[in-house]
Amino acid sequence: MVPDSVDLLTIPRGLVIAPAGCGKTQLIIEALKRHDATKPILVLTHTNAGVAALRSRLDRAKVPPVAYRLSTIDGFAIRLVGMFPASAQIDPARLKLERPPYRDIRTAACNVLKISSIHDVIRATYARLLVDEYQDCSQWQHGIVYYMSHALHTCVLGDQLQAIFGFGDDGLADWHKQVGAHFPVVAELKTPWRWINAGADELGQWVLAARTKLLSGQTIDFRHAPTAVEWVQLDGSNSDRPKQLKAGATRSHTTDGHVLIIGDSMSPPSQQRLASQIPGATVVEAVDLRDLVNFASNLDLKSTDVVRQVAEFSAKLMTGVSPDDLLRRLDTIKAGRARKEVSDLERAALALLAEPNYDGVASVIAQLNQQGGVRVHRPAVLRACIRALNECAKADGPEFADAAIRAREQYRMAGRSLPRRGVGSTLLLKGLEAQVCVVVEGDKLNAKNLYVALTRGSNKLVVCSKNPVLPVVA
Amino acid sequence: MAVVRKIEIRHFRGIASLDWCPSEGMNCLVGPGDSSKTTILDAIDYCLAARRNLSLSDADFHDLDVKTPVEISITLGRLGDSLKNLEAYGLYLRGFDPKTGSIDDEPDTGLETVLTVKLTVEADHEPSWSLYSERAAQQDQARGLAWADRSAVSPTRLGAYADHNLSWGRASILNKISDETITATAELAELARNARDAFGQQAEAGLPTALSIVQDTAGKLGVPVGDAVKAMLDSQSVSFSGGTISLHDSDKIPLKNLGLGSKRLLVAGLQRAAAGTTPIVLVDEIEHGLEPHRIIRLLDALGAKEAKPPLQVFMTTHSPVAVRELMAAQIHLVRSRNTVHVVHRASDVGDVQGTIRLFPEALLARSVIVCEGATEHGLLRGLDQYRVANGKVSLTARNAAIVDGGGDNVFKRARAIQLLGYRTAVLHDSDKIPTPDIKAEFETSGGPTFSWSAGCALEEELFLSLPEKTAQQLLNYAVERRGEKAIDDQIRSASNGKITLAGCRADLTQEMRTLLGKASKAKTSGWYKTISDMEVVARDIIGPGANGSAASLTGPINALTKWIADGA
Repeated sequence: MVPDSVDLLTIPRGLVIAPAGCGKTQLIIEALKRHDATKPILVLTHTNAGVAALRSRLDRAKVPPVAYRLSTIDGFAIRLVGMFPASAQIDPARLKLERPPYRDIRTAACNVLKISSIHDVIRATYARLLVDEYQDCSQWQHGIVYYMSHALHTCVLGDQLQAIFGFGDDGLADWHKQVGAHFPVVAELKTPWRWINAGADELGQWVLAARTKLLSGQTIDFRHAPTAVEWVQLDGSNSDRPKQLKAGATRSHTTDGHVLIIGDSMSPPSQQRLASQIPGATVVEAVDLRDLVNFASNLDLKSTDVVRQVAEFSAKLMTGVSPDDLLRRLDTIKAGRARKEVSDLERAALALLAEPNYDGVASVIAQLNQQGGVRVHRPAVLRACIRALNECAKADGPEFADAAIRAREQYRMAGRSLPRRGVGSTLLLKGLEAQVCVVVEGDKLNAKNLYVALTRGSNKLVVCSKNPVLPVVA
Repeated sequence: MAVVRKIEIRHFRGIASLDWCPSEGMNCLVGPGDSSKTTILDAIDYCLAARRNLSLSDADFHDLDVKTPVEISITLGRLGDSLKNLEAYGLYLRGFDPKTGSIDDEPDTGLETVLTVKLTVEADHEPSWSLYSERAAQQDQARGLAWADRSAVSPTRLGAYADHNLSWGRASILNKISDETITATAELAELARNARDAFGQQAEAGLPTALSIVQDTAGKLGVPVGDAVKAMLDSQSVSFSGGTISLHDSDKIPLKNLGLGSKRLLVAGLQRAAAGTTPIVLVDEIEHGLEPHRIIRLLDALGAKEAKPPLQVFMTTHSPVAVRELMAAQIHLVRSRNTVHVVHRASDVGDVQGTIRLFPEALLARSVIVCEGATEHGLLRGLDQYRVANGKVSLTARNAAIVDGGGDNVFKRARAIQLLGYRTAVLHDSDKIPTPDIKAEFETSGGPTFSWSAGCALEEELFLSLPEKTAQQLLNYAVERRGEKAIDDQIRSASNGKITLAGCRADLTQEMRTLLGKASKAKTSGWYKTISDMEVVARDIIGPGANGSAASLTGPINALTKWIADGA
């Protein structure tokens, strides 16, 4: 029988299986709090968002910063490889590329970590190693941790059922053949603290039981679920959409509660449509902020078309913006046929045409936001866009495209904040927790995505699907 | 804790270039004067000591050429965790191969992980200390050691003055032997205040006129000084720092008043106690202020005799006593060839321990003359004394040392000294040649040998070649020392009764000269077999009376004298 708790500071090498909401982060916090050796514990996780989230948890728990070093695996690898480029067998210039070749960097880090003198250096620097979200480890990331575990006592934490990442040229490490073979299971967390703390023990036990079923390839029947789980039946007809939007408008029983709405992972536009149609909902953006970067690199200030470009981009971020109406009005005004008084928005647009600059772009966007009936449903993109425009409006400011990339990097590093009512995919919402979670298209989720979706809400789940028994896809 | 693995000096004072891998324990730098031994100590001190500034002058640049920077790189090994810290120093960690002394830019399996500290001084005399690795230089990255780490590797220098180590001032060894701090700061400040007040009242009484003029003038000019200007001690001049607190003996006499040697001995001992934190010690002229037995005590305190050396010591010496006490592996010979300096371990050339023990003074000279036996040794010494008495330059002034070759071992010893890198010559008898193969080796390696007419020992050469009057004096010396009868007996027995002492005195024939040579060199009852005998003879008889001697005697002596002069 695997114990259900463990002291992370005493494990020479091992794996803690940590289902969602079972106190994994708390376990890390407590270990770091007790750690009082002279060297810090190295804590690695996967994404910058994960680092930011963990850091804020550690700060809130008043863990002394000297007790740990927190980084992404890739960030650690880049630094390591930069320090020993010859051993790494990589050209240091490649580390500074805008899109670093992560797989090659990981391979290079493994080259460094094979050297016994480097083990010695690592031992001189860190007391031990903890790796969070281990199910998201790629083959080469696992390689890095594998070699590190020869130098340091290493404990990895994760849950294979939450392994929904894993794409690109460096596939996920095999949970049993690779991870399990090197890191023996030392504990499996079994207390659903997230739900217990929210006063929803029953839901918590049901989610934990659902995990066991999903793990062994079984299905879950939503018709026989606790009251906290609401199933909304879809039938493929036109009446589905109103049902989904109504589900998305589900309120939290607490006034400051958050609601997460899980849409189609494969279609960001459909998530954006949901956000624009559900009152108060905003989009949880992917870290690449692609719409902003595209807009910035395509925007041609000198073009007569500049107002159209700005208005169409703004329409992607705000509901109730009509680029066509604005352009028609501008034509009317320019032709001297305008009967209505020229509005602030139109003045800003004309000023932009007369004197094209980035200040002008920013004020058109700001004016659009001021219009009656306009609501921003993609605030993250809007904020990043305004920040970039302000940057390049300064004397000696950068190119807009560069400023946008910089704003994107800031967004990447800052981590996602949780909107009151956020729309995203399991991929984007993983790691975020809310009181209510709404699954809009349950039939499209496989077992792992379904499990991640089910674990996002601590008080209430709303699942819309045609099929009452999920998952229906492999 | 850290040890110096490699020292690279460029363009510093007399050293154009030096690469040296010292030993872990004792490194006694030995070489003739002006071979830059102290420069090496200074280089280590300047590069590693935790100091914020350093005043150098143009004279510290090699050849006074300030366009080329002074560069001193010291590579540290046996790094503690703090110096091996990946985050702080990862980009600067390198790999040292102890077998070859070469450094790879990155650590690797089988190499020791090391850090290189580099001091660069450009023409503006501004020192800059930073860590060095090729890859960091390529990336234009530079950082120095953190101050705490610099302090940890900072060497202690046992210079001519040890006084500062006997009070709790900055850089004192006393701060390193314990973590305690002086808590009396507040009391000291109070004391300073009291002193100021007390003095202020007295001073006023003594300076009324000056004070009243100041008061008056200030009043007229409207300078605000209040009602009464005061003469008080300047608060800054009465400040107590850690340096104000020093060690005293039980009679309250400051330990600074101890003899120089005692102070150095004590500080060395304290250094030993602080070895855990600061294991590198620099010692200038270890013999300074010490009697021979205390030199040995000091060497012991520095761990010279321990199998596992507690400290890494860099020292210079001109003391044969110190050299004799050390193992060949602890002696590092400094050599300069066209301002490119090399340092090598005495033990690297083979088994020279015996030679070092017997003739430590040879290691301190530039030229070494190995004499076959005591007679040759005495001859050279005596002649040298004669020359000095007549206003000529002495052998020692020419940096030459004379070593007794121990008879049959003469070429073996000469070869050993030659291998140590010394300019070596041999003065030997020609009656028989020991170890001809080693002699050949010595000669083909550039070692000159000087000797007498074929088949002759020194005594034979003397009796054959000196003018008659001088030869008679030589004979008289033997008679005075050994008595008429003994000498007469020896002459008679050597000539089968044909020749007598009286006969020799009457008229010294060629036959008699040959016979006296033979009789005088007898193994057990030789007439001039001790150094002191021959020394006196050479000084008082041969030196003054050599005029008119045969070239077979004066030739080798003159050639040897010239060889010595050439090396000086």
